[in-house]
Amino acid sequence: MATADEVHISDNDLKPFFVLHKASNSQQHARKPVGRTSRKVKVNLSSSLAASDESQLLDDQLHKNSRMKNFHDAWVKIESTIKDVLHNINADVFNEINGWVQKSFGAICSSGKLDTNKATCSYPIVTDVTSNQIFTAFVVMSNIEFVDDLQTFADLGVHLQSHGCHMANLSSVDFSAKSGIGGCLRSLLRQILNGSTDAADISILASWYMEHDNYKNPVVVIIEDMDRCSASVLSDFILMLSEWVIKIPVILILGVATTLEAPKNILSSKAVQHLSPSKFFLGHPTDRLDAIIEAVLVKPCSGFLVGHKVAAFIRNCFLRQDGTLTSFVRAVKMAIVQHFLMEPLSFTVKGLLDEEVAEADAWPRQALDLPSCMRLSEPKSEALLSGASQMKEVLNLWSSVVLCLHEVGKNQRTTLLDLYDEALDPKLYNLRNSDHLEVKPDPQRPSWNYDMHGQSFERQKGGLISRTIRQIRDLPPAALHQLLEKWDKQTEGVDMIHEKVKELRLQEDDNLKEPPTRSRKQTIRNNGNSDKLSEKAAALITCMTREHMQPIECIPFHEIVCFRNADKLQAALVGDPRKRIQLDLLECNKFLKCSCCCTKSHNVPISSMHDTSLMYTLAQEHGNLINLHDWYQSFKAVISQTTVKDKHKSKVSPSPKKRKITAQPQIITEASAQARFCRAVTELQITGLLRMPSKRRQDYVQRVAFGL
Amino acid sequence: MSKEETPQVTRRTTRLSATHTPNAIQSPTKSINLPPLSLHNLVYGEQQEPLTFDDLISSLPGRKNQIFDLLRLLGPVNSPMSPMFVYGSASTGKTSTILRVFRYLNRPFVYSSCRTCYNARQLFDNILNQLLLHRKSENNGYSSAKKCEKPADFVNLLKEALVGVVDGLKRSSSSKKLNGCVNGSMVYLIFDSLELVRDWDKSGTILPLLFKLHDVLKVNDVGLIFISSSSLDTYHSETGFVDPISVYFPDYTEEGLRQIFMRNQANPKLRSAFLDVVLKPFCRVTRRLDELSTALSPLFKKYCEPLDDLNVIPDEETKRKLFSCLQPHIGPALNEILGVTSQSSVEAGIKNNLKRKGGLKKFGNDSIDDIDFHMSTSAKYLLVSAFLASRNPATLDASFFDSTGGSANQKKRRKTSEKSKDLKEASEQELFMKGPGTFPLERLLAIFQCIASSDEYSLENDEDPQETTGLGGDFGENNLMSDILLQVSSLCNANFITKGGSCPLEGSTRYRSTISEDLALKVARSLKFPLSKYLYRR
Amino acid sequence: MKIQRTVEEAIVLLRKRLCDPDFIFSLFSDSPDSNYSKLKFIVSSSVTEACNNSILLLGPRGCGKNAVLDLVLEDLLKEYPDMISVIKLNGLLHCDDNCALKEIARQLCIEHELMFSKMASSDDNSQFMIAMLRECGLAHKTVVFVLDEFDLFAQGKQRLLYSLLDAMQSVSSQAVVIGISCRLDADQLLEKRVRSRFSHRKLLFLPPQKDDLQRLLKHILLLPTDSTLPHDYVTDFNSRISNIIADKKFNEIIDKLTDADCTVSNFVRFLFSAVCCIDSKSGYMTLENFKSALSTVQRQPKLDCLKDCSILELYIMVCIRRLEFKEQESYNFNSVMKEYKTIYDSVQNVDNYSRNVCLRAFEHLLDRQLIEFADRGHNQCIEFRSVKLLISPAELHQGLKSNRSCPAILQKLMNQEAKFVANG
Repeated sequence: MATADEVHISDNDLKPFFVLHKASNSQQHARKPVGRTSRKVKVNLSSSLAASDESQLLDDQLHKNSRMKNFHDAWVKIESTIKDVLHNINADVFNEINGWVQKSFGAICSSGKLDTNKATCSYPIVTDVTSNQIFTAFVVMSNIEFVDDLQTFADLGVHLQSHGCHMANLSSVDFSAKSGIGGCLRSLLRQILNGSTDAADISILASWYMEHDNYKNPVVVIIEDMDRCSASVLSDFILMLSEWVIKIPVILILGVATTLEAPKNILSSKAVQHLSPSKFFLGHPTDRLDAIIEAVLVKPCSGFLVGHKVAAFIRNCFLRQDGTLTSFVRAVKMAIVQHFLMEPLSFTVKGLLDEEVAEADAWPRQALDLPSCMRLSEPKSEALLSGASQMKEVLNLWSSVVLCLHEVGKNQRTTLLDLYDEALDPKLYNLRNSDHLEVKPDPQRPSWNYDMHGQSFERQKGGLISRTIRQIRDLPPAALHQLLEKWDKQTEGVDMIHEKVKELRLQEDDNLKEPPTRSRKQTIRNNGNSDKLSEKAAALITCMTREHMQPIECIPFHEIVCFRNADKLQAALVGDPRKRIQLDLLECNKFLKCSCCCTKSHNVPISSMHDTSLMYTLAQEHGNLINLHDWYQSFKAVISQTTVKDKHKSKVSPSPKKRKITAQPQIITEASAQARFCRAVTELQITGLLRMPSKRRQDYVQRVAFGL
Repeated sequence: MSKEETPQVTRRTTRLSATHTPNAIQSPTKSINLPPLSLHNLVYGEQQEPLTFDDLISSLPGRKNQIFDLLRLLGPVNSPMSPMFVYGSASTGKTSTILRVFRYLNRPFVYSSCRTCYNARQLFDNILNQLLLHRKSENNGYSSAKKCEKPADFVNLLKEALVGVVDGLKRSSSSKKLNGCVNGSMVYLIFDSLELVRDWDKSGTILPLLFKLHDVLKVNDVGLIFISSSSLDTYHSETGFVDPISVYFPDYTEEGLRQIFMRNQANPKLRSAFLDVVLKPFCRVTRRLDELSTALSPLFKKYCEPLDDLNVIPDEETKRKLFSCLQPHIGPALNEILGVTSQSSVEAGIKNNLKRKGGLKKFGNDSIDDIDFHMSTSAKYLLVSAFLASRNPATLDASFFDSTGGSANQKKRRKTSEKSKDLKEASEQELFMKGPGTFPLERLLAIFQCIASSDEYSLENDEDPQETTGLGGDFGENNLMSDILLQVSSLCNANFITKGGSCPLEGSTRYRSTISEDLALKVARSLKFPLSKYLYRR
Repeated sequence: MKIQRTVEEAIVLLRKRLCDPDFIFSLFSDSPDSNYSKLKFIVSSSVTEACNNSILLLGPRGCGKNAVLDLVLEDLLKEYPDMISVIKLNGLLHCDDNCALKEIARQLCIEHELMFSKMASSDDNSQFMIAMLRECGLAHKTVVFVLDEFDLFAQGKQRLLYSLLDAMQSVSSQAVVIGISCRLDADQLLEKRVRSRFSHRKLLFLPPQKDDLQRLLKHILLLPTDSTLPHDYVTDFNSRISNIIADKKFNEIIDKLTDADCTVSNFVRFLFSAVCCIDSKSGYMTLENFKSALSTVQRQPKLDCLKDCSILELYIMVCIRRLEFKEQESYNFNSVMKEYKTIYDSVQNVDNYSRNVCLRAFEHLLDRQLIEFADRGHNQCIEFRSVKLLISPAELHQGLKSNRSCPAILQKLMNQEAKFVANG
């Protein structure tokens, strides 16, 4: 566990959760052995050749390091894949932007290069009315959460710089109303001149440009989050640039989070006149997420998979809570950490599912004890031997089928997120095998795609997959052709499916071979057999789903590679700090186990409670404005009534804490009471439950507590 | 002076840069050194072919009278002038005309725009640098010639510099060194976009100083020219100042605009036909040159699209045809202030995106994709509740969000609709004035909980039963409830919610939702949330 | 070609005169009861009798306070060489005491060929000033402090004035403080301690009378006969000038001018633009020159703006006017849009534009300063900030009439409202 904590600490984005969830970690401590013992019980009664506890513990000690190691390289693998995926997604947009930049730079230079004196002179060079416009790209991120695209813009900057542009990445921090126009100029100069200047003056930029390259490369200014900039400063900046536009070939790239309306709303109409904008679209977050899921989870790139519930949980996080890839990746990482922590057998997972591993390596003996192979009929030994390879090919089948389905769904914007979620569902699988997949017209059109609306469709009936299959029927031949090609690509290397797809394509080809000019009878016939073809395709995909799409949780030994404990993951991710704090304050007796408070229900204030929690309990009686005087009075009343109570309670159970109080009851003087009061209030403020009295209302504190 | 300051400045820059970035010191090998400035550089575009008077007039259509006024006021060579104040609304060619005139006259001038020099110190530095023929370059660490913060220093330095320059000019003109290239020994200081100076300092010392600069300097060989977009009577000053002589640049007339748009066109006939169609309606909206040109240039492309060769002389028939092609585009262009062009390939992408939506229509999901950016569900609920909190009076929250929300507020609404008319108007007026109301965070969260919980119910029962134990139920609940404050902040960042002023009673900051109603409706539709039912109509 | 050059020479001469206040005000210097003689008497007496003194020159802008003072000082410097040293300060530049003291020290150093150090602190400077005052007093040199924009010095704690006047209390010093201000209550601004040390001698500068203007006109415009200009041209020119002056149309023009503003500077500006209008072909001044000069000097910028407004902007103006007429105490863009919509619904053939275009036109009006924000709310976005109209309805009427492209419907809207006004 200690190593685990180090892992937590070592990593930045996990830190808060680690801090928040000491408690839950301790629960892990508490619970893990329990889980194992239960399993051990099974062992003892099932098989004679069970290892004894201490030997197993010993093994654990031995395997711990290998597990950590596995975790590390699994994570490294996943991280790198994610990076590649994102890079590939952005690549073409970046190239478009680059091409546009070069084009507009050419347009600027077409008005003729200026000689040095003209280019550094103070008066504007006006050749034409439209010539004092700045080429501007609105890069639409289409996600109100900005986190994911910070990296994107950094990459864009690097990309353009590699093509020779002089880059400056500004952000809304530079465009604050406080620092004004000088602030953003200063940071612009600092980035481009690689050194600071005493006065922020744009003429410096002009002379620098003439000195260092004259009209070879453009100056590109990226403003990452335009929505957050102070409107007036940004407008002034644009107007100022527009006075130098020919002398310094500046090209703006503005990141727009929401819609293209935003620039109009933010900028003043004067500034808008000086932009000649064009728009680019980054990948939609859901598409990116699909790509990542495909690369990381569907095609198992590292011996780690997640179960259905976990998938559902992650999906819900993305759709409902904050739709950022960052949080998604964080969730995956969390899952991995916990998996390798909790699953004792996960040490064997080393490179289980990558190609280079020889078939030879078998599951360890303990694997037999896993509940998933309790119901294995065949003799255990070869199950152990062939388990890995079997699992591998089953998974490959599964993933290829899912991808084929996704190919179908794509042109209806079915997100892989949902498909994946549904394809993982073991119950659905069983349902499918007890086949009534076809016969179900879906009732009240559910919003099955774009589930960022959170309206989750009736998943237990597998509506999505069956609908996706039905879509094949009404595909036009051309689309069908493309589809088949894609399938062909997808099912590479998975022979049993690949063959079928091949023959389907052959049929389709000789359909297409018929001469394009034909009588309508023929066309009808052709339509007919194109329909037939689509029917065939539908049938194929149906049987594929029925036979080969076997969720991970139906495979023996899946516990080794598959993480299923959604609750733990949720506990780790969706920490609710304020709620936690308040709960703990209200039932402090659970933590400091003193006998007297436990007897009472937690919300009656008792003197022996800890001051802070006592105060907070008292605060419950007030509204969100607490009169300090009343509060103090009630507090003092409570802590002074001890003496009476302790008399007859001391004989019940003398605890050192209370004896201290009973020993000198009169010690609670006004002063000490006030002192304790003040300390408690301060602590409450520090925990962020109170706001101290304001100028206007001297004698009131305000409760700033939500979530309860 | 400059010699004694430059080293210190360079030292500072190196030190700072060292602290800033390791690779701070640019390799000077790559850089080319700029030639030093001379008196030639005070003239517009030195070593240029002289501009004849006819060129001057023809190059600035519709500005004949103004050019004449300027020339008269500037007067013959070496004649002193009293300060001149050139005004006229934006993009009426003030700056370009004056620069043109100076190029025609070949007289030395110092131009400094108060837009580029965004505060007094920048302005002073800029003027002095130009007069002292000092150029910021890498060698002097991009420092300016003199340091002056206070206007007093500025006036002294300026006087020195002016005297120096004027003497230089006199000497050179006497020695006939740069004859014909620099004309006369008067130096003109041009202050552009002076209206910005009004916002610089609230104490208002700079503006009176600039207007009295001529008297303060007492140098006869300097002419002051102020260019402003607003007239003299908008420059308030408590002690007042002697008005300069003003020259007014009126907006371009329709004929003037036509002449400008007809300049250097490949196919004037076609262009004029286009302008016949377009210019009049657009001039009803605005007569600003820049706005018109940004609006017209894409339209002209559209106009030319049907033609195969652009050199055809259009006859009536083709004109009519072209117009019929153009007609649908005119209306939108009239009502658009920012036409965003998009790159070709992306365009295609968007297109088939739309096609897909069309395909979706077949499945009847109209609500899908109305908002084309990603928001998490909780953020949407938050947005909707913020919208409600801004629109509805706080007193009615109870009646809207109790258990029988719908029916209750039906009643409520009928009651309010029976209210007397003037009250209604007053409230409407108030809505118009104050815009969306502000609300404290607590109220937002309360409304949010009401809405979200009512929806959570529907969420649970369509997750499958086993799941509700694990993931549905409480899971969904606190899933939506958790880190709401993060969501609020991200909504603030997206400008959907703005932090209003703090409430006078308790010090908490108040919020206000700035989204338009239709956006709110879209979001609500995507949530299948009956927004209109909860909205309080006056 | 010849004539061209002479005309140009003449014009240059006139412009030199017009731009040189000393020449202009030298006219008034001769009469015995003029400010010139009074001021000269005071200063010279304090120079000769080696006493301290302080004067205020008050009067509206452009009545030649500075010019007369310059003339006086010039003459005195001629009369009493190296007995007077002049220190000039300007309230616009040196209103804060430190830089004022610095400036004084600097000018003193220049006067007495001393080395001036930038680094000196303000205490050093003040001590230096006092020391110099004593020195000059012992050397019987008068230091004349000219404080232009005197009222600005009276802002704040007035440390400078106090130290100056306090130094002058000592017998040894010998200085004259001359304050120039266009605020007639300038001496009321002084603190008690300063005012007690201030001798309340005031010279009032008033705008000239009409006959003075006549004299001024001749003084400026008549070309000198003893110049390089050809004689016949000069005589011809001068005769035409005198004809014009005799003309009563010209007198009307002068009346129009002086009714608005009869200060010398305004008059000179008028003459300057008149001179600028001289046609270099003929080379003589005509009545038309003066007429056009009058029109350039007396402009009505708001009306010009209204002439320039596009139709949409006019619509918005009319909407605002109607709102005002309905006694809506405050209104902003939204209410204007509502009014616009109602007009659009009620009346036919009103052209209807989208909201953001109207918003742009609204911003144009703000730029033209035909309307302005009534509140200081900066956190709000434009359409919620309340505005107010900066022109009277009469002006708006006139503007609508003068605007050629203004549609009739707008006129009607304004007029029916005017009728309401007439009725109610």
